[in-house]
Amino acid sequence: MSERLRAVSGQIIALGVALLMGAIIILMVGESPVHVFMTLMRGAFGDQEKIAGTLLQTTPILICGVAACIGLRGGMFNVGIEGQLFLGGFAAAWVGFTFSLPTGIHTLAALALAVAAGAAWVAIPAYFRARYNTNEVVSTILSNYIAVLLTSYFTIFLFKRPGGWSETPPILATAYLPEIFSFSRLNWGLFIGLLLAVGVALVFRYTSWGYGVTMVGSAPKFAEYGGVNVKRQGFVVLLLSGAVGGLAGGVETLGVHHRFMEGFAPGFGFDGLIAALLANGSPVATIVTALFFGALRSGSLLLEVDTTASREIITVIQALIILSVSAQVLVRRRGDSQAGERRWKF
Amino acid sequence: MSNAPGSPTPHSTVGMAVELTAITKRFGAFTANDGIDLAVRRGEIHAIIGENGAGKTTLMNILFGLLQPDEGSIRLNGETTVVADPAVAIKAGLGMVHQHFKLVPSLSVADNVFLGMEIRRHGLIDHAAQVARTHELSKRFGLHVDPTERVGLLSVGIEQRIEILKVLVRGARTIILDEPTAVLTPQESRELFQTLRSFVAEGMTVIFISHHLEEVMEVSDTVTVLRNGRKVATRPTSELSKDELVRMMVGREVSFDRRPRAALNGDVVLDVRDLWARDDRRLPAVRGASFTVRAGEVVGIAGVAGNGQTELAEVLSGLRPASHGEAWLKGRDLTTLGPAAIREAGFAHVPGDRMVRGVDRNASIAANTLMGRQHRAPWSRSGVLDWKAIAANAGTLIKSFDIRAQGSGDPVKRLSGGNIQKVVLAREFTNGADFLLIDQPTRGVDIGAQEAIHSEIMRQRAAGRAILLISVQLDELAALADRILVMFNGRIMGEVPGDNADEDRIGMMMAGVLPEPAAEPV
Repeated sequence: MSERLRAVSGQIIALGVALLMGAIIILMVGESPVHVFMTLMRGAFGDQEKIAGTLLQTTPILICGVAACIGLRGGMFNVGIEGQLFLGGFAAAWVGFTFSLPTGIHTLAALALAVAAGAAWVAIPAYFRARYNTNEVVSTILSNYIAVLLTSYFTIFLFKRPGGWSETPPILATAYLPEIFSFSRLNWGLFIGLLLAVGVALVFRYTSWGYGVTMVGSAPKFAEYGGVNVKRQGFVVLLLSGAVGGLAGGVETLGVHHRFMEGFAPGFGFDGLIAALLANGSPVATIVTALFFGALRSGSLLLEVDTTASREIITVIQALIILSVSAQVLVRRRGDSQAGERRWKF
Repeated sequence: MSNAPGSPTPHSTVGMAVELTAITKRFGAFTANDGIDLAVRRGEIHAIIGENGAGKTTLMNILFGLLQPDEGSIRLNGETTVVADPAVAIKAGLGMVHQHFKLVPSLSVADNVFLGMEIRRHGLIDHAAQVARTHELSKRFGLHVDPTERVGLLSVGIEQRIEILKVLVRGARTIILDEPTAVLTPQESRELFQTLRSFVAEGMTVIFISHHLEEVMEVSDTVTVLRNGRKVATRPTSELSKDELVRMMVGREVSFDRRPRAALNGDVVLDVRDLWARDDRRLPAVRGASFTVRAGEVVGIAGVAGNGQTELAEVLSGLRPASHGEAWLKGRDLTTLGPAAIREAGFAHVPGDRMVRGVDRNASIAANTLMGRQHRAPWSRSGVLDWKAIAANAGTLIKSFDIRAQGSGDPVKRLSGGNIQKVVLAREFTNGADFLLIDQPTRGVDIGAQEAIHSEIMRQRAAGRAILLISVQLDELAALADRILVMFNGRIMGEVPGDNADEDRIGMMMAGVLPEPAAEPV
């Protein structure tokens, strides 16, 4: 228990340090940190529309965060969630504008293909990891570029809507994810994300399979000795992580954009990964951290209106968070590093 | 060099390198050191011995300024000193070599030795001077190292020498070593003792922490025994016998004599036939091993570490492929199965590398006792774990195996080495297997726990289990094994009966001097 307390307090201190450094940088660009942070708060939680906007931004970060958590739990660093999200988004849109199916079934079919697309995309690095022990960090990062450009190619050359932007034809209303409020595009995707986070946490805690995977992640040689097939579980975990990454893209197109646009969801995959790291790989804690990043994104919209600071300051703050969290992880794990532990592969 | 062992000098403070008076240190409700007095004379090798958790390391950390005592005082070289931090201790001529080394793998030996106190010339690091000085020191004290080599390429034994050199260049006259031999081979230990003697010959003082009796008897002039945070006695080594030392450490009689046993008449459980396997460098490591293990029998495998025992254990447990041969366990050939199927076939394994293979250090005792049975009722039903049943079972195991822990939720890393080993034994001995592969069961385990582990192994034998016991400690095999097979260079050189085991004969086979044609065709 005190172990967990230490982990949580460590993350909070890291967050505090990052915000403090952010405040210094805001001072350096000649704006008041208090004013900027208050504006961010107002932009994120000022009224019900803003809160809904924050939750709208939180949804894809949360789902991507859960995807990252699945990988981390099994000792796999899936840095390719961004690419899986793009392919999943495109796959869902394709089902949405190509087929005509009854309401609900259409949505499910589109989400199913999004899941399949994400899993198929990560299957390539996952195979090489299992077969040749290739470092999955490198191969999943690289696969992002291909995925993003591949979906651009599909959109521009194969499925472009006549005239206008680089986007596909709109998907049919039968495939939409229902909206929750009349005043926001916030949709059932949020519930999918919340259910997924809790569900994944339960599976890891309360199933034999989840126990084996957790051991593969934290003590691979022990897991191997105990009869867990380490290579197979690593492959499975990456596949599941990619599947959820694909789902995130499907939820985004079916719930928010109702079409696939080139560059439709920049950075959600990476934000999700950071949210998962900040949550120490816990899916439930990722709900909180994803909300934090969602609020930053949503609050930043008001930033350029009401302050002289650029909204890019948000990116700076995020980068500072990554820095301080990884420094914190390194410090906390320094003692363990002598045992050759390799949980966070930096 | 003031004192020879066994010739007590008048207790003049002048001759004292270190005097601790009534040191008490509490961690919460736990008293790690309870009014400990310790006087170390200049020019002696002073061993501090005690079981894990007796307070040895705490006491040394207090002396070196890493911890502050709650009560008591410290005199260094006759002067009362408040050792506020290690810098004070170093200034007073103390140096400490820790159990875990703190070296930079990418730097050279000399650069590591001088890290933080580099020799400078014109503002730049004078590498040549550092190398020369390192070389000189290493020659003087028999600490053989190549000052220009990169540390990342070196063995643990050499890393330890570098740590000692680091302490020396910082001007230490009194050197504290925390369990220095735990990571060394017997050969390296002997070299270390030579070095320690050369320190004393130059008038320096050595304090070393250990729980190995033999080496304490061999190298020290004076012994201080700690037990449960209290000092039991300080005595000249020459006045002590090994038995007395054990009694003081453990607080009761402990015997490592041969265990009494009933005669065996069991069926063959494991039948290994002409087994071959390669090591990680793809070189043959096990070369045609053939032997059997019967129910109710302990078969020991003796040998110097690195003669194929590890690979043999890994092949049998499915962690390494066999390149040739068979290993039959109750009608199934283990060489064709993976670790999970081998466990299903009735195979339990206490691994030699328990920290890496045997446990997940960060997980709880309960989670560690689950490994290998997570798919079996009553621990899980239809793939869903019953943590209540798992924790309850872990609680029972903690009691029956006398694991010193607060509860089944404790992370394993908080336990001592002996208790971690008991967690492994508790898990492996209770999963209903007929065959037990036990690899180095008492390595790094203190004496009280060693005896308990030996008793547990004998209970398993009495219950009719077939046991293959791999150990580098001959006395362990002599106490437990019915037959002893000796491995050398991947081959089984011969077999010796366990009672009245002829150590000379075993020793010659271990060295490969006495080859005996495989006289045991199943």
